[in-house]
Amino acid sequence: MASNRGIVGTVISRLVQAIVVVAIVTTLVFVLIHTAPGDPFAGAMDNPNVSEALRARWRAMYGLDQPLLTQYLRYIANVARGDFGWSFSMHRPVLDVLKDALPNTLVLAGTALVLGFAGGIGLALIQATRPGSRTDRTLGAGSMFFYAMPDFWLALMMMLIFAYWIPIFPVAGSVDPIMHEYMTPLAALADRLKHLALPAITLALLSGAAVARYQRAELLRVLPDDYVRTARAKGVSERRIMLVHVLRNALIPTVSLLGLSLPVLFTGAVFIERVFAWPGMGWVILNAVSTRDYPLVTAGVIVAAATVTIGSLLADMLYAVVDPRIRGR
Amino acid sequence: MWRDDVALTILIEDPLKLPAISMMHTAAPTAASRSAATRNEGRLAWPRSPRVRGAAMLIVLATALACNGERKQGPASGGTLVVSTASDADYLFPPLIISTQGREIAEQLFEPLANIGDSLNVFGDAGFTPALADSWTWAPDSLSIAFHLHPRALWHDGKPVRARDVQFTIALCKNPDLASPIAPLLSGIDSVTIADSLTPVFWFKRRSVQQFYDAAYVALIVPEHVYGAIPASALASSPLLRTPIGSGRFRFRRWVPNATIEIVSNRTHYRAPARLDRVIWSIAPSDFGAAATRFLAGEADMFAAVRASMLPQIAKSDKVRLIEYPGFRYGYMIFNMRDPASPSSPNPLFRNVQVRRALTMAVNRASIVRNVFDSLAIPSVGPTVRAMATTDTTIPQIAYDPQRAMQILDSLGWHPGPDGIRTRNGKKLAFSIMVPSTSMDRQSLAVLMQDQFKKIGVAVTVSSVEPNVFERQQHSHKFDAAIENWNADPSPGGIRESWSSAAAHAEGSKNYGDYANAAFDSEVDSALSAGSPPVARRLYSHAFQTLLSDAPAIWLYEPRNMIGIQKRFHVAPLRADAWWAHLADWYVPENEQTARDRAAAGDAPAGADSTAASGNK
Repeated sequence: MASNRGIVGTVISRLVQAIVVVAIVTTLVFVLIHTAPGDPFAGAMDNPNVSEALRARWRAMYGLDQPLLTQYLRYIANVARGDFGWSFSMHRPVLDVLKDALPNTLVLAGTALVLGFAGGIGLALIQATRPGSRTDRTLGAGSMFFYAMPDFWLALMMMLIFAYWIPIFPVAGSVDPIMHEYMTPLAALADRLKHLALPAITLALLSGAAVARYQRAELLRVLPDDYVRTARAKGVSERRIMLVHVLRNALIPTVSLLGLSLPVLFTGAVFIERVFAWPGMGWVILNAVSTRDYPLVTAGVIVAAATVTIGSLLADMLYAVVDPRIRGR
Repeated sequence: MWRDDVALTILIEDPLKLPAISMMHTAAPTAASRSAATRNEGRLAWPRSPRVRGAAMLIVLATALACNGERKQGPASGGTLVVSTASDADYLFPPLIISTQGREIAEQLFEPLANIGDSLNVFGDAGFTPALADSWTWAPDSLSIAFHLHPRALWHDGKPVRARDVQFTIALCKNPDLASPIAPLLSGIDSVTIADSLTPVFWFKRRSVQQFYDAAYVALIVPEHVYGAIPASALASSPLLRTPIGSGRFRFRRWVPNATIEIVSNRTHYRAPARLDRVIWSIAPSDFGAAATRFLAGEADMFAAVRASMLPQIAKSDKVRLIEYPGFRYGYMIFNMRDPASPSSPNPLFRNVQVRRALTMAVNRASIVRNVFDSLAIPSVGPTVRAMATTDTTIPQIAYDPQRAMQILDSLGWHPGPDGIRTRNGKKLAFSIMVPSTSMDRQSLAVLMQDQFKKIGVAVTVSSVEPNVFERQQHSHKFDAAIENWNADPSPGGIRESWSSAAAHAEGSKNYGDYANAAFDSEVDSALSAGSPPVARRLYSHAFQTLLSDAPAIWLYEPRNMIGIQKRFHVAPLRADAWWAHLADWYVPENEQTARDRAAAGDAPAGADSTAASGNK
């Protein structure tokens, strides 16, 4: 009971911290993006018909000619009412843009996280069962290869190999732009999965490689412990020892890694989304920064900051689930 | 009625002939034939002999029946075109469009009163072909033009197009609350009045050789009953703009932001529906590589931004071809005539025309353009493009002559120092070239020019900056030289915005280099107000000659545009300023159609699955 009260207190205090962190980050980003060179209409100046007078008119229409403090106070008041403003680059309300992008990122990053963590833990178990064997060395070299590889490069290679040289997957996008709406529900699902495959596998390879390396090291650290020896002496099968006794105790660093990876669910994998033209949060924020889309950048950062703090809180709570010793503290 | 049915019959036989046939019936009147054309509008000579008249009636009846039969069966399928692109449209509502992508699509959905001809003539009405207006009548003093709307023109929601829609469109575009980018182009139009429900009359503030272009082509007409109820200041954020209703040969179907825009043939169009059943823009947002790969992998049929690096892969394919068309872009290195350290003072180096000319002579433009663009660009001829009707390619350019360049610099007191760099009064002849970090082409050009300048003893550094910084530095005149990429406008009057003295004195104008020459200004102003096209052309020619001689910039490149397209498409001629101008006349012959072509809008193919999309691989 006392420990439950402690957990609730911790959660509340961390939530308050999260609100403070989000407020500070939002303010910083708002000031930085507004003071950076350019404005949302700079790109339009390439058009011979767009004059500086017209640009000034647009700035006035959207209140960008007001002092920064006025703009900030108005923005905060709007956000408090649930209005995140108008996206200059997408020409739509920011909330609509985020509503479209978030599910795409959740699907991609969620699939990749599950695949990456399941695959990474699985690989680590295989390696830790036969440490120093050829299988261990080969898998270790493989995970090192993907761990060291830049994400955008791997994405380009995957696209080149599996969409162009051996065209078994589509090049980009989240669905077939032409045939998707004519498909039966089953074919439409298959189409989505086909489009999801390349970006999700790429992201899973990158995160799985890191997970495998951390998990293998932790498994090898736990294996010589006394309770493992005791389990072996009691005649428990090797498979059960690994899955039930060793893995559970070796999961804590991986849980940390999972907690740190959770924000990716919401903020997206910028380069992967860009290479595969996956219309998710990563792409939206990257594009918003380059086009100085102030409201969209700030809203994206609010989502990112909130998820980082909540992700870290969830990771702490998962520790408690995995490790009973933490619950008692 | 009869005339349109004939046109439709001819269209089905050969779609590419339609513009010519239409022009035969409704070509824009010249000054001499204007009144006669107006009198005979809509009429054809009728045979006098009863026997011939009977035969003619039979032909008319047969033609009409044939047309009706064709309509009942539905027009032949023209296939589906999938265009791969790296950018989404900003708007599909013409008065607010800035992006090329938006223009490309909106010009299929909406129509002007008259279309500019392929020669892109903007003087008078020569070459213009009827669009929403069947014909037009000039006032004797040329201060007004009455446009006669096609009586059967309909909006996509079935309502008729009327004169008040034209009046509404012009008033809306000029409304400061909308802040439309085309408002300055309509500044010569005083007002639009309504003579009758099918006759809007444009009144001009003054006569100009471009007044017909301004009235008939600049603004695409939008329906008042759809957009009129929304205040102009609220239009930009209206959800209605996401589902545009126009009058064009295509109508809007769907827009999935950053993914897909689809338009389908408007089967009830008053002249002729689009031949293609539908066109889909498949968007790989901000990713040129993904957009190009989609095309090369066969997921899309067309790609309008072919680069030199793609040519070998396209050459290997037996299903894809390249079509070249003249472009409307050009690039140049501009000299800043204000001192970057103190922008209110003149630049001590570039204010001297002899220095600018010497630097121009040092650059072998043909060589560096070939090096960077391979065969996809040619040296530019000035702040214009060859495709513009007013461009005079006979104006002498400053030729590549490094020896002469060195002589000029010697004569100005710039002598080589021990390190080979020229100095004068202890100051080195050095400057930097600013380029945006996102443009590999411009960075390569700057590096090659750096080497050529070094050969005549000029030290150059290349400064690659983020695009927003590039734009800010230009506006604040805090740069030595910068490589610009410019999109021309069919109207040559646009050079005033970039090169006139008035623009040089206006803060934030596009005359980034602060070039000013009263002779150039007066020649351009005279050309704009010239009474006749030949006089205007001659004056523009003089103005360009003055500008080229002053060397305010080194005119570098003019890209040769290429589209890559699947061979099964029959493509109408590509217009220099808009490859999409005749898109409604493209088609795929039925025997060459794939599963994707046959998946016409609203007709889901039986058993269609995701593999059908790759049917043309």
